[in-house]
Amino acid sequence: MIDAPLLQVDGLSKNFGGLQVSSNISMDLRKGDRCALIGPNGAGKTTFVNLVTGVIPPTAGTIRIEGHDVTRQSAEARVRRGLIRSFQVARLFRSMTVREHLELAVLERTGRTFRLFANVRRIPGLADEVAELLEGMGLTAVAETAVGTLAYGQQRLLEIALALAMKPKVLILDEPAAGVPHSESHRILDALDRLPDDLAVLMIEHDMDLVFRFAKRIIVLAQGQLLCSGTAAEITADPRVREVYLGSRAHAH
Amino acid sequence: METVFGIAVDGVAYGMILFIISVGLSVTLGLMRVVNLAHGAFAMAAGYVASYAAQTMGLPYGLALVAAVLLTVVATLPLEKLLYRRIYGSANELRQVLLTIGLTFVIVAGINYLFGPTLKRIPLPEMLTGTLDLGPKSIPTHRAFVIGMGAATILALWWLLERTSFGIRLRAAVDDPAMAAALGIRTERLYMATFALGTGLAAMGGVLGAELLPLEPYYAIRYIVLFLAVVAVGGAGSIFGSAAAALTLGVVDTAGKYLIPNFGEFFFYAALILILFRWPHGFFQGRAA
Amino acid sequence: MTAVESDKMTTNTSTLPHSRPALPRIVTDAMPVVVMAVGGLAAFWLFPNDLGLLTRILAAALFVMSLDMVLGYCGIATLGHAAMFGTGAYAAGIVAVNWVSDPLALLAVGGVAGGLIALATGALILHARGLTLLMLTIAVAQIVQEVANKARDWTGGSDGLSGIDPAPVLGLFRFDLYGRTSYLFALAVLIVGFLVARRIVRSPCGLACRGVREEPLRIAALGGSPRRYLVSMYAVAGVFAGIAGALTAITSGIVGLDSVGFSWSAEAMIMLVLGGTGRLYGAVIGTVAFMAIHHILASTDPFHWMLFIGLFLMGIVLFLPGGIASLSARVLPLVKGGR
Ligand SMILES: Nc1ncnc2c1ncn2[C@@H]1O[C@H](COP(=O)(O)OP(=O)(O)OP(=O)(O)O)[C@@H](O)[C@H]1O
Ligand SMILES: [Mg+2]
Repeated sequence: MIDAPLLQVDGLSKNFGGLQVSSNISMDLRKGDRCALIGPNGAGKTTFVNLVTGVIPPTAGTIRIEGHDVTRQSAEARVRRGLIRSFQVARLFRSMTVREHLELAVLERTGRTFRLFANVRRIPGLADEVAELLEGMGLTAVAETAVGTLAYGQQRLLEIALALAMKPKVLILDEPAAGVPHSESHRILDALDRLPDDLAVLMIEHDMDLVFRFAKRIIVLAQGQLLCSGTAAEITADPRVREVYLGSRAHAH
Repeated sequence: METVFGIAVDGVAYGMILFIISVGLSVTLGLMRVVNLAHGAFAMAAGYVASYAAQTMGLPYGLALVAAVLLTVVATLPLEKLLYRRIYGSANELRQVLLTIGLTFVIVAGINYLFGPTLKRIPLPEMLTGTLDLGPKSIPTHRAFVIGMGAATILALWWLLERTSFGIRLRAAVDDPAMAAALGIRTERLYMATFALGTGLAAMGGVLGAELLPLEPYYAIRYIVLFLAVVAVGGAGSIFGSAAAALTLGVVDTAGKYLIPNFGEFFFYAALILILFRWPHGFFQGRAA
Repeated sequence: MTAVESDKMTTNTSTLPHSRPALPRIVTDAMPVVVMAVGGLAAFWLFPNDLGLLTRILAAALFVMSLDMVLGYCGIATLGHAAMFGTGAYAAGIVAVNWVSDPLALLAVGGVAGGLIALATGALILHARGLTLLMLTIAVAQIVQEVANKARDWTGGSDGLSGIDPAPVLGLFRFDLYGRTSYLFALAVLIVGFLVARRIVRSPCGLACRGVREEPLRIAALGGSPRRYLVSMYAVAGVFAGIAGALTAITSGIVGLDSVGFSWSAEAMIMLVLGGTGRLYGAVIGTVAFMAIHHILASTDPFHWMLFIGLFLMGIVLFLPGGIASLSARVLPLVKGGR
């Protein structure tokens, strides 16, 4: 099938004990999609990402990447198929430098991490690609800084840079701007604007300005269920969305 | 048949001693997330105190036991405040191992300085030295006493954790420390009380078990692996897990030593690996009772 | 995560190696090697009567360095590292007694044996974490010790394996009675070992292992398998530990059960932490400090030694978490007038 969606999710459900955190979610992403997933705190957005990326196993449902059923495959296998995510809570190697992060990502992608005697600094092409990634996110100046000492906004940029280093086909960003001061969030937006065109992106975000600027299509999740999806205009007009959000708008962020 | 019975009695008695000592370690590991390698040193110190009280000062066995437990608890409480409190939490694993190894060495050296390197005994009272007739069989009274004390400890701990407010707070804190703190449980005092409970149990086991785990300065290093094995198999923070693990390992170890004396250790550690392979988090992970 | 938390993180920088030394890399790279070579040769001239002890220190340093690859770079807390050392020592010893006596071949035998046992046991136990893993490493080492104890015909059991009589190094340098060849051979092996180990921890695989230590979930998100990295590095470190064991067997002529013992594993960990983890040369510093002090204190009374090392360990944990090797990083700014 030539035109299989890059990512296709069917009837995905997850229970934690008696608690149903995801119920029967179906959606798909195609080439070039710019999609946002929104919903109040605790709606199950991060859980959805964890299910799709294989961090936790679903109770029911299937996940396909370019038509291949990956529901039973490991997180690593999905990464190798081009499904890449960023983390809501920064999960970085705190004592390693920014450069080392990107080197590791590129080496992983190209399958060269098991070389025991190669000098990382002398691997052909690596330095150039890393330099390009650093440049792209404006991180060149802090390349040799240990990530634990970086400002939070820069850590978020590194998250995105890491995801891009993996040359993803589908990119899932879990609250890329969370915790970033407003004065810095334009950097994130700039970075998002420069993402490759044929990439399919699913962004989870509470910041509605960001969502409306970025997404062509918005999916609303509430209490683990897919409430509705549509363009920004359709979503804002939908009374159900208002209902879900009015109660929790104050906390959302 | 005789051997099977002998193994059962000795194995269970041995297991009970392992249980009494290890359960303290298990509870502190479960709550404060601290791998306390000095736990065996506390048990040993209490044994020495009891030996001194009974042999040199001539106190009766029961009194020596109580004195040793109290003294050990009182002497170790400042350590909780000065040392342990700095290394609580699973992120500190390596520091815990090193600090408590260091403490163990200091205690070993101190015990040797105070009491010398020779083996010490805690003389048993008359009524514990004979044998006890159980219908057709008879078992050494001391073994029966140890088994009884072990069973009593299990019951007492069960009661403490299930029926008292201390137990409720303790279980809440083991399950979810952040939530417990939010509910206003004063973790600092809870930690201190739990630490005291843990060392008290170690002390009691050290005294009661002096016949099975003989008192000498290297005790603290020699047996700590055994106690850790019980905790790992039983699952940190679980009383019934510790009991099951201690009895299993006690019987396996005793049976190994009786039946295949040349390969005793081998079977013990092979059993340990198999169990941990099957249950990497122990029999009863994460349950306080 | 909130912004407040992240502020707290940025202020807590003292433990992170973010300030690069001002010296060019080639100098900082060459320094440990030069210090080792010069210091090693100086000790050779200064203490001609203690070469036996000094040789043991060198072999131990290689062993502790291999532990650093596991503990410092992968974050695997192990109290069973002597399993690899002892296996290497026994393998080299048995081969030397029965078949081959070329020292380099024996080192290779030790390395292969140590690597294989590490690979086999690592694949079995490295799924575990924390206390469980600690217990598994102890159990593995105890079993290896028990096997060595029981295979008397091969290992000599509790009497130890003796009669190892290595041929001259490269067919040229005979092992003499005073231990001169032994010492210089061990020094050469240690320095080469250090260079190779440094190469490995700086390789892509070493980089990935550091990543696993810090955030295994992220490694998985990058498409790597944390466990495969851990097992690989565990096996590589096993090779080094095996070589260190073989080196001890060759230079001392005997292998005892204590070479697989729990206390040898624990001592190695202490030496490493004394020196500082994650640096390789910290392992050398820690070993030299530990064994030299041990030699001085334990010869009077082993319990003095225990008291001293116990207090020292507690002091390190409480006041100097980075080990001795971090002293320079802490003291230098003060000396330079503070910054
Ligand atoms: N491992 C788990 N076990 C039990 N419950 C869980 C687990 N993980 C998440 N939950 C619950 O599932 C619900 C959804 O959580 P999730 O983190 O997916 O929400 P979210 O939409 O990402 O929220 P936020 O906007 O705050 O990031 C929450 O009620 C949470 O408590
Ligand atoms: Mg979330």
